[in-house]
Amino acid sequence: MNEPTLEVFGLKKNFPGSIHAVKGVSFEVKKGEFFSILGPNGAGKSTTIKMLTTLIKPTGGNAKIMGFCLKKQAREIRKIVGVSLQTAAIDPGLTGTELVILQSRLFGFSNKMARKRADELIHLVGLEKDAKRPCGTYSGGMQRRLDLALSLVHRPKILFLDEPTAGLDPAGRARLWREIQKLKNEMRTTIVMTTQYLEEADKMSDRICIINGGEIVSMGTPEALKGSCALHKLQISFSSKRDCLKAKKALAEEFPIFQEKLLNMEILTKDTREKLPKILRSLSGLGVFPQDISASSPSLDDVFLQLVSKSKERIKKGGRSNAKAN
Amino acid sequence: MRKLIKDIFFLTRRSLVSTFRNPFTYITNFATSLFFLFVYSAGLSGIVMLPVFEGVNYLSFILPVVIVSSAIGAAAGGGQNLVDDLENGFFSRLILTPISRFAILAGPLLTGMIQLIFQVLLLVLIAVLMGLEITLSGFLMILALSMGLGFAFTTYSAAIALWTKNAGSVQLGTMVFFPLLFMSSTFVPLEMIESSWLRVVAMINPTTYVFEAMRAVLIPGWGVNYLYNGVLIGVMVTLILAGLLLIKAREIFNG
Repeated sequence: MNEPTLEVFGLKKNFPGSIHAVKGVSFEVKKGEFFSILGPNGAGKSTTIKMLTTLIKPTGGNAKIMGFCLKKQAREIRKIVGVSLQTAAIDPGLTGTELVILQSRLFGFSNKMARKRADELIHLVGLEKDAKRPCGTYSGGMQRRLDLALSLVHRPKILFLDEPTAGLDPAGRARLWREIQKLKNEMRTTIVMTTQYLEEADKMSDRICIINGGEIVSMGTPEALKGSCALHKLQISFSSKRDCLKAKKALAEEFPIFQEKLLNMEILTKDTREKLPKILRSLSGLGVFPQDISASSPSLDDVFLQLVSKSKERIKKGGRSNAKAN
Repeated sequence: MRKLIKDIFFLTRRSLVSTFRNPFTYITNFATSLFFLFVYSAGLSGIVMLPVFEGVNYLSFILPVVIVSSAIGAAAGGGQNLVDDLENGFFSRLILTPISRFAILAGPLLTGMIQLIFQVLLLVLIAVLMGLEITLSGFLMILALSMGLGFAFTTYSAAIALWTKNAGSVQLGTMVFFPLLFMSSTFVPLEMIESSWLRVVAMINPTTYVFEAMRAVLIPGWGVNYLYNGVLIGVMVTLILAGLLLIKAREIFNG
């Protein structure tokens, strides 16, 4: 687990018209690690993946993949990375089996080995029943699974998955997740995945890197990130300013209060069900009765807001503010 | 080198299989050529009574037009194959394999050329059934000429495909088919073209030299020097277009 499979140093991409898609990101992925890059649309996730897989040239910075230099040894890198891009990259006229065989042959497998590999991979992604019909007739989820199989043909040392579940229905998403889980647990493949979904990154990443506007906002294990950002938002509003201030004073000791307006406040907590009765108890102890309470899970945008405000807060206080709940 | 030939073989076979399973493109193209063959030979064959034709078989005169139209169509299909790969992302997948970049381009383009050979073969066979007289060497010459023209056209449409990565643009690009085919000595010999501007355009149009070269093969006594001009101009045009294609391809492959 120690030597880094992937090292990225200040990778940058400017597109014509001075759009700074990626503003210099640096990170490291260890052997066998599942590393997620989390961010909203346009954060620079796909651009980063495309640079790391030699599809586009970085404007600045560099990376090392298994010791190969991204700038100078693109050909070597192509032999050891597997990529599944945002849209399934398949020829709709060919059947699933034909495509995997073709891909294997292009990677230098003999005819016999290519057929064997096709059987293995079709089985791995669970497409046995549909392997004999043109993949243009597959559902979105099946196409993504076939695409995953294609990216695994040459047993890549590191696998890049660019939003593997984007645009899939819940069943398709769950299915694809199972296959990725298998890769992680059975093959111990090093995986770098991008996603917009927090829960997705949370579910199996060893580490998550959050990027926004082409920059890394935060990086760490899911636990550490969750510790630094609450996942649910409780909005409590009061009938008077006095009540609101009173409540804030009482609750601030135990909860991080994210945002407050004149008559309402927002509490960020990991577990609403556990915390809500506590909050209500302490409020009624004060003789303060909220006018309205609503609870919601935050969007990714909220997570960013929280992260940014959290990190500012941390600098101010000089330490971590909230205890790990659970 | 063996790996390169193998990769080209795999990718051409894959492109052929994929095209064969979606027959609408080549059937449309072939049907258009057949339509031209029947309608032109049925409707226009009377003009061979004019003294300038010296009694040649009009079928021999018009067949080059039909062959060229079919060849251009098939060659455009090669560019279309490439743009399909670019649009559905398969091109990226191929770029990410360690195979030669040349093989990635060659596969879809060779498919267009193979289509072309089959179509020309079929058209000549049908023309023979309609009474055309042709020697084997004459047929091979015609095949070589149409392949040359097809190759030029396929590099042209492939260059558009790489430049724009857009199927609509490639189709728009193939519209040049009409001036190429019809602003030429299509229906009557060059010296019989009425308006002088059209005659000038026809003289600039490289297709004219391909028509005339094919006629030199099919019609005894038709100016043989046309044959040399046709080959020479074909080679030049092809080299220019292939150069453009390679420049753009390098740019894309280098990211």
